Amino acid sequence: MGIPFFSDEWIAAYKTAINSNAAYKTAAADWIYGVVALICKAQPPAFPGDVGIWLDLDRGVCREAKAVSTDEAMKAPFCITAEYARWKQVLRKELEPIKGMMQGKLRLKGDLPTIVRAVQAAQELVNSAAKLDTKFIDE
Amino acid sequence: MDYPADLSFLFTSPTKVVFGAGASADVGLELAALGCAKALVVTDGFLQKTEIVAKIVASLGRACAGIFSDVPPDSGVHTVNAGAELGRARGADSIVSIGGGSVMDTSKGIAILLTEGGTLLDHQGFQLLTRRQTPHICIPTTAGTGSEVTYFAVIKDHERKRKLSFGDYHIIPDVAILDPILTVDLPPVLTAATGLDAFSHGYEALTSALREPISDALGLHAIRLIRRFLPTAVKSGADIAARGQMLIAATLAGAAFSNSQVGLLHAIAHVVGARHGVHHGLANAIAMPHVIRYNNDVVADRHRLVAEAMGVDVRGVSDEAAGRKAAEAVSAFVAEVGLPSSFRETGVPQDDLGACAEMTLSDGAIVQNPKPVTDAADVLGVLKAAWSGKPA
Repeated sequence: MGIPFFSDEWIAAYKTAINSNAAYKTAAADWIYGVVALICKAQPPAFPGDVGIWLDLDRGVCREAKAVSTDEAMKAPFCITAEYARWKQVLRKELEPIKGMMQGKLRLKGDLPTIVRAVQAAQELVNSAAKLDTKFIDE
Repeated sequence: MDYPADLSFLFTSPTKVVFGAGASADVGLELAALGCAKALVVTDGFLQKTEIVAKIVASLGRACAGIFSDVPPDSGVHTVNAGAELGRARGADSIVSIGGGSVMDTSKGIAILLTEGGTLLDHQGFQLLTRRQTPHICIPTTAGTGSEVTYFAVIKDHERKRKLSFGDYHIIPDVAILDPILTVDLPPVLTAATGLDAFSHGYEALTSALREPISDALGLHAIRLIRRFLPTAVKSGADIAARGQMLIAATLAGAAFSNSQVGLLHAIAHVVGARHGVHHGLANAIAMPHVIRYNNDVVADRHRLVAEAMGVDVRGVSDEAAGRKAAEAVSAFVAEVGLPSSFRETGVPQDDLGACAEMTLSDGAIVQNPKPVTDAADVLGVLKAAWSGKPA
């Protein structure tokens, strides 16, 4: 059946997946740089407007995960924006996020070197999401 | 040189390149072709006093909205903000940058502010911009950084003592005017160091984890040109042909690494530059043979190409042996153009190598190194070899 992509249920499951990922806990042990927000650009009819996710990450733990407006997401120290199709590629591990940023497939607001220093942690965030049984909106 | 069946890449290099001795006199025509009428000229204090800037400003005529010449070698956020302020005050609709990497990177920052407003810190990110920025014509006066065609800008935040990295397709300059006459007065040591910077761009584009065939072609030809023409440019600075081919090589290598990225070598150069003031090109020159040896077990086939591009006979030898020959050839080339071969000679204290290694590990450039680098001890091994100038 699957959990609808970027739904409240998906976000809650994502938080659980992050916090139960031992590899993430290790890789992100030094992450003290704050919230990472994700924005998925509008994809009508499922997403008539842009949708945002707020991930409050601290030293290997996801303290909070919630849906937010794009305005709020953009206030996070790090905000990654992409089209729906790109996020789908990321979740299916067809697009490596850092490479995607380099190539403009994902857009980063924030300090890139800080993100690249946390490349292992970023990969584990993707691995956590990839473990979810996601129902994509175009399938 | 095989490419995987699942090869997937994105290559972009939209800059119009105008080449020729005296080509900088066409700046006014190129500006008009962009549909612009008032250009802010950005340069540094030294160049502003030379004929180079005077002639270009004369060529622009009434299309010169003003000259911003306060760009220091290590440009910062304040410089960009001040330049943008002048540009806004003069109603500039475009930028003409004349200088080396610092001037061109500063101009990329000014281009953002003239279009987006605010201060540079408001726009910190990667591929964050969503529209075309202020039209920008680059006229390089060194042959090294390749910034005239890259999507990068590195600008210092002196207050917070950090470097801000910008990477965005929308800041790639519109036009690069490569005029070899403008580089003939570059002193031999700077000619050599900037030339080796371009070489290092070619090398790292060719070996990066994001390597792809188009950048390979650009990087390899850049190395061939540098091998052929840099010694002449160093020994006979007024040789227009050699100067011209070096400008082309720097641009080719810039386009290559703007797409394929750099790796461990640049991470090391960034750190020894920041901590000990070693010129970026020189740092690349010194560390390159040792990085080649470090990477050799992963990309020996690529090193064979480097060796071949340098004219080394590697027929009948294994890729690994060819890689070692490439490292030796680079060392010999660095010596041939008169540069030192060790960080010891540049004043890097031996007892700081450990700290340099730790800092290198957290430099963003290291991520796309072909051989993943996660242990500071590995970097320290390379640094020790580069410090002594002898293979580990």
